[in-house]
Amino acid sequence: MTDAAVQAAPGNSATAQPETMQWDSRARRVVMLWIPLLCFLLILLFPFYWMTVTAFKPNAELYDFRTHNPFWISSPTLDHIYKLLFETSYPRWLKTTMLVAVCSTVLSLVASTLAAYSIQRLRFKGSQYVGLAIYLAYLVPPSIQFIPLATMVHQLGLFDTPFALILTYPTFLIPFCTWLLIGYFKSIPYELEECALIDGATRLQILRRITLPLAVPGLISAGIFSFTLSWNEFIYALAFIQSSESKTVPVAILTELVTGDVYQWGALMAGSLLGSLPVAIFYSFFVDYYVSSLTGAVKE
Amino acid sequence: MLTTRRNAIGLSAAAMAAMTAAEQAQAQAQAITAADAPAPRLPIESGATLRMLRPVRFVQPDEDVFRANCARFTQQTGVQVRVDFVGWEDITQQTAVTANTGAGPDMIIGFNESPHVYVDKLVELTDVAEYLGRRYGGWLALAQRYGKRHGTNNWIGLPFGSSGGPLVYRKSAVNAAGYERPPEDHAGYLDLLRKLKSANKPAGFALGNAVGDGNGFANWVIWSHNGFLVNEDGSVGINSRETIEALNYLKEMYATFIPGTLSWGDVSNNRAYASNECWLTANGVSLYFALKNDPATRAIAEDTEHMLLPKGKASFSPMAGLTLNAMVFKHSRYPNAAKALLQFLLEREQYDPWLNANLGYWAHPLENYGASGVWSSDPKVAVFRDTMKSPFWIGYKGPISEASAAATAEYVMVQMCAAVASGQSTPEQAAREAERRAQRFFRRR
Repeated sequence: MTDAAVQAAPGNSATAQPETMQWDSRARRVVMLWIPLLCFLLILLFPFYWMTVTAFKPNAELYDFRTHNPFWISSPTLDHIYKLLFETSYPRWLKTTMLVAVCSTVLSLVASTLAAYSIQRLRFKGSQYVGLAIYLAYLVPPSIQFIPLATMVHQLGLFDTPFALILTYPTFLIPFCTWLLIGYFKSIPYELEECALIDGATRLQILRRITLPLAVPGLISAGIFSFTLSWNEFIYALAFIQSSESKTVPVAILTELVTGDVYQWGALMAGSLLGSLPVAIFYSFFVDYYVSSLTGAVKE
Repeated sequence: MLTTRRNAIGLSAAAMAAMTAAEQAQAQAQAITAADAPAPRLPIESGATLRMLRPVRFVQPDEDVFRANCARFTQQTGVQVRVDFVGWEDITQQTAVTANTGAGPDMIIGFNESPHVYVDKLVELTDVAEYLGRRYGGWLALAQRYGKRHGTNNWIGLPFGSSGGPLVYRKSAVNAAGYERPPEDHAGYLDLLRKLKSANKPAGFALGNAVGDGNGFANWVIWSHNGFLVNEDGSVGINSRETIEALNYLKEMYATFIPGTLSWGDVSNNRAYASNECWLTANGVSLYFALKNDPATRAIAEDTEHMLLPKGKASFSPMAGLTLNAMVFKHSRYPNAAKALLQFLLEREQYDPWLNANLGYWAHPLENYGASGVWSSDPKVAVFRDTMKSPFWIGYKGPISEASAAATAEYVMVQMCAAVASGQSTPEQAAREAERRAQRFFRRR
């Protein structure tokens, strides 16, 4: 709120009601704010609701919408979860996915931070174009890249190992993270670094002690982005991993739970639900940082 | 664990049952006639190990028996074999990566035309194919079509089986509509569909981009009117009088369908049929077994019958089964071992138990396996036996090539049918558009 607004607001005390503009009637608020928000929430949350309901529904209810309410469960069952956890290698797939997602996220963050800092702060000749080129690399679709990347993965002897994914995911993670961090570093006042330079700090010291602590929301934002993309990635995981035991969750549940044209919907949805939990938990811890990095950055 | 007398009896009964099953399988395999034919000389490379990729199982015994067969090969030859299973939709990408990088498995069992797409990367299998053909009464028509390079006798793939998609229908509903079974002619068939619709027991066929069901239905519509995508010489022939007639027929058919078939994928008709929403469709045997194995839907399975797709104007039921086609890559360091394994898996001692384990989902590619016990195990499965005798194939009636594979992958036929069914295009417009799209693939190759 600006100073002018504070002065204009009547009864500026702890007990004052939230300010209401002339045009801001209750009906208008409902139409303009709450109804769109509700629609938005419905659209976003419905797939999760459907996933959850399907994961706990017995097959008889799943396939007969005439007798059973499709949006509710009459007699919930844990059969699908049991099948997933004890009759497939789901825990192992989860472990592999976690390993790949964490390693590629860390790798991407380190590389992006260095790239973004150098492009934004060192301002070497052509740095702007380098920044643009890195971002353009993000626009190349993975479906075009997977065959040339497969050749390299094979030549490096990484085929069918988690390293194939850990080293290829950064090809699409680094460009976006770098672009995001360039924007974030731009919002950190350069004067802070100038002071440090005058005091004799090196560039690496400045990065470690001044810029990075201020850029934590940006780093978290880039981290969440990288982790989510790595967790859900499909095409590279499909192309570079062939052994059943080294697969990641998105590919493995399809292989194990779709047999021909028979889809085991209950177990599939249970797999998707359990697979989306780590991302949701990870996100919930850092949501404030994430929002602040996307909206406000560092206030000058 | 303390072994009580009851336990001991139980254990020995289980062991006996297992022995009996194995013995039965072997005895059944001996019922398959095998001629004496000289096997090709395939000296196995020293230190050979093999890796194979194949589509994921249809039922668990498929995987179990397949692995057991490979283990027996290891036992007999000392060659370690590793088999990985991949989702059906994903095997194409895996094959593309393997072929283009020259890395990965020694052999892949892919689908349909895969060997024809990567022909330059493959080891020829003519010696093994000719031996098996002589030994088991010859390769069936569809197997020859998918196995041999066009216009030659050179085998580039070894078909392992084919899954047909005949009509699946509720006998009670068809009988109530006044028919003993769905008629073979177009007029009678349409009349049945209309009667089913008016009885609120409609039929439904996939018109969405469904690999198996969508292509199967679109191909049937055109082929049963004697239409085709390409001529024998590979020139595009879809924009024909027969196609227009077929699309007009489809318009009338579509009016009798359950709503929503335009967006149906491969799984949609299974769900609709299992929930009593759809009473006649086309599918592999998987639907029947899914219904039969679930107590909640067993009654539907009992009321279910299969029949080859109506012939219409064609002389043979127009259906091209989804075919498993094995290929050996040139990058394999052990091509002889790979060929020996494929040959071993297609010998009656291994192949017949595997055929039985699949309950009829895969139909044999070699004539003599027609005597397999699986075809008499359930009368409702018998219709699948001759799937590979079909004179139709994907890309009929042109050469199987990269172009025909691309036209199928782009759903040229399916989208032509969907455009007419939805009213988006007239039959003439849709046929012209399909011709234009098909020419893009067939012209540049």
